Amino acid sequence: MSLRTPLSAAKGLGSAREGAHHWWMQRLTSLALLPLTLWLAISIVMFPEMDYASAVAWMQTPVAAIAMSLLVISLFYHVQLGLQVIIEDYVGGALKIASLIALNFTCIVMVFVGLYSIIKVSF
Amino acid sequence: MAQFNLPANSIVKKGKEFPAPAGATNVKRFKVYRYDPDSGSNPRVDTYDVDLDTCGPMVLDALIKIKNEIDPTLTFRRSCREGICGSCSMNIDGGNTLACIKAISDVKGDVKVYPLPHMEVVKDLVPDLTNFYAQYASVKPWMQSDTPPPPDRERLQSKEDREQLEGLEECILCACCSTSCPSYWWNSDRYLGPAALLSAYRWIADSRDEATGERLDELEDPFKLYRCHTIMNCTNSCPKGLNPAKAITEIKKLIVKRKN
Amino acid sequence: MANSYEITDHTYDVLVVGAGGAGLRATLGMAASGLSTACITKVFPTRSHTVAAQGGMSASLGNMGDDDWRWHMYDTVKGSDWLGDQDAIEYMCREAVPAIVELEHYGVPFSRTDDGKIYQRPFGGMTTHYGEGIAQRTCAAADRTGHAILHTLYQQSLKHNAEFFIEYFALDLLMAEDGTCCGVMAIDLATGKLHRFRGHEVLLATGGYGRTYFSCTSAHTCTGDGNAMALRAGLPLQDMEFVQFHPTGIYGSGCLITEGSRGEGGYLTNANGERFMERYAPNAKDLASRDVVSRSMTMEINEGRGVGAEGDHIHLHLEHLGADVIAERLPGIAESARIFADIDVNKDPIPVLPTVHYNMGGVPTNYHGEVVNLVDGNPDHVVPGLMAIGEAACVSVHGANRLGSNSLLDLIVFGRAAAKRAAELVKADTPHRSLPDHVTDKVLDRFDGIRFAEGDTSTAEIRLDLQKTMQSHAAVFRTGESLTTGMEKVNGLNASFSNVSVADKSMIWNTDLIETLELSNLLPQAVATVASALNREESRGAHARDDFKDRDDEKWMKHSLANVSATGEVRMEYRPVHMTTMSDEVEVFPPKARVY
Repeated sequence: MSLRTPLSAAKGLGSAREGAHHWWMQRLTSLALLPLTLWLAISIVMFPEMDYASAVAWMQTPVAAIAMSLLVISLFYHVQLGLQVIIEDYVGGALKIASLIALNFTCIVMVFVGLYSIIKVSF
Repeated sequence: MAQFNLPANSIVKKGKEFPAPAGATNVKRFKVYRYDPDSGSNPRVDTYDVDLDTCGPMVLDALIKIKNEIDPTLTFRRSCREGICGSCSMNIDGGNTLACIKAISDVKGDVKVYPLPHMEVVKDLVPDLTNFYAQYASVKPWMQSDTPPPPDRERLQSKEDREQLEGLEECILCACCSTSCPSYWWNSDRYLGPAALLSAYRWIADSRDEATGERLDELEDPFKLYRCHTIMNCTNSCPKGLNPAKAITEIKKLIVKRKN
Repeated sequence: MANSYEITDHTYDVLVVGAGGAGLRATLGMAASGLSTACITKVFPTRSHTVAAQGGMSASLGNMGDDDWRWHMYDTVKGSDWLGDQDAIEYMCREAVPAIVELEHYGVPFSRTDDGKIYQRPFGGMTTHYGEGIAQRTCAAADRTGHAILHTLYQQSLKHNAEFFIEYFALDLLMAEDGTCCGVMAIDLATGKLHRFRGHEVLLATGGYGRTYFSCTSAHTCTGDGNAMALRAGLPLQDMEFVQFHPTGIYGSGCLITEGSRGEGGYLTNANGERFMERYAPNAKDLASRDVVSRSMTMEINEGRGVGAEGDHIHLHLEHLGADVIAERLPGIAESARIFADIDVNKDPIPVLPTVHYNMGGVPTNYHGEVVNLVDGNPDHVVPGLMAIGEAACVSVHGANRLGSNSLLDLIVFGRAAAKRAAELVKADTPHRSLPDHVTDKVLDRFDGIRFAEGDTSTAEIRLDLQKTMQSHAAVFRTGESLTTGMEKVNGLNASFSNVSVADKSMIWNTDLIETLELSNLLPQAVATVASALNREESRGAHARDDFKDRDDEKWMKHSLANVSATGEVRMEYRPVHMTTMSDEVEVFPPKARVY
């Protein structure tokens, strides 16, 4: 049984004075992902052949390399933001911190893996 | 945080059955959640067959009829019976609403009556609203202004400014919205919930209030405010037809606005 | 046995019982003046029935045309059918202006005029120039003024950190042998445990007892608990025969349709489609005072001109007002009519019926909110330690009939007055006198008797019988014959309470027990109401006797005091009507014929 007053419990640790950035970036990244994902889908459909060579040739164009880089960055940023919310919603205690760290690391790693792959294929 | 394992004694058992009186032809079956804290036993669902020919039109009328004529131990809050006091909020037919303005005829099949979801149950249909009220108090839902009002007359407010309060000041604190919100279910210890946020916005929107900045400061928090994921259950469940989700979005928009 | 109860003690400077408009305003004022204040309430404050007040609160601001508090005072005196105390009425009407300004400063979201002032609408019986014109005096927040005021007052109480004991049901006053009120005993619903509160002043703000009737606009919780506690403390209730029937309760459910709907231009018709109020009140028409309109409606129905298959109700028309006016000023009415009468007010009239709405009677007080009693020939003897305000009190500003929108005013003005008075009377942190055990034991004995009542009649049965009896025997029109029968029946029901049964024996949230305690409060008030009505052989305001059709100022311009003993015997006494004013800024309004 807690002997804290209800108001003390409701106020908790007070306001973190943040959250707007996260909320705003989540919306911005989804805004960016809309055309980028559409572009990716159309590009793949328009491959002359559905094979590795076509993909490499496509990726070697500057537009594809740049847009693909933007897509990777926005996608994993968006994934990080979204999964962070889900973890905060459903996971508590030490597991929450661990999950958030793992999420952040994974997303950063995935961004670099993606960018490295694009560069490797493009040049 | 979401809790996946149930506490002890929380599995709902089948309860008693109270058949309708002989000769009743227009019978509706009410399945009502019962929990008796004195006994310490599991909650149960009792079944009452109510003769609608001798009952008022609303679910509250049926609950009162059950209490008066069948089972005086049935426990629920009620007062005004016209949808303005907010006492008889409960979960009826799967949705949160006020029993006094929920017509029995709107429910197809058996009428299932449960307390507001995911709240600690004090007894039967009576939830513990302590935290809900404390969250309301925590947003300082009162006029804050430094400019002294004119000593012997009212502050002035234009009709247009007054109109900004429509859909906000009508809240009756019934808790239907907050307790319908999954974010509130999982995080009511930190998320203020739609009702408290609607009340916070009611004062932000009031042209007479001078604490908008401080109010926004206090609200900008990943949990207090941003647990709202625009699920919209709040707006769908509000028995007064208010739109807490929109009020929350307005708060978020104002916070972004002052940063840009 | 009494010792078997574990009792938690609390001491405060002042105690407020009830958290409606009056109780909250008083609590707020007392807390702000530095007195340690506890407010004990059986429902969460914003669930109190003030929340259902619709039309507004009168005050002669003059925002929408000329106005003067003296005109307001005249209207109130006339509305009261000259039974109101004119000093108290003067106080209320003068204080109305600062009281409403203060509410606006607290943040009440009043509707506004084009120039940004508080919007005011016409209301029944509210006139200018002493009855000449129609006044726009009733300050409104759409048609949810009570809601707006009650929520704002609760918010202010939060701001001032007022201390509440919520969902605590007050059982009885603790009265010392010298007649001083020393506190109150209450039960905490959440635990079933008893709490003894000590205070230098106990303020009853417990509202009316509309639930003695079968069809009323009142909430289920309007059981007049404070009135009954006063009776059990040996104090009388004043003017209990005056029960106001609101002309427009929705036919069937009894839910209120504000008089503001007629203030905004709505009107009543009978089965012939006739605007019959033009016959009964040629000047004020549909905006005559409530007793007049309710009687007229009842006469139309009794003479076979009611509407509906049974010819048993009346139509209220709003269709002609237009959707915009309804949406802006009467949105709650449109909602209630849709839910409870299945009516679209933009297209069809609302079926309505005079419905029990307000109790002019209650605990007699002076205009400071102090409870008074007739002692040794002194009609204004102050009962030490006890105050009462709001519908529970009879100041008397409403006399034989309350004007619409004077009720919210009464709550706020006398809530303020009581807070001011308590601040004068009580010195903060004065120690409390010792209270002998037998005072508590007496309260516990009664409580224990009800808690373990093992009779063979359910609470609901006795209550239903009582409500139906009151509905048919103490209605809009009364006769000696019907009241005599009613008296016998109510006495019988009161006696039958000794045979009540409480089926729920649990401790936590035992509403069966609470409803039984409430019934024990309703019964003596019903006795007082019928006895006072039978006793008053004249027609005045809301008390219309078919066998004594006229007002008799010679014999009956006096307040009746009903003392009801524990066994239900009634002793009637009288207090004079105060025919004086507080100041020399207004003259007493002498009685004259009451025509609208």
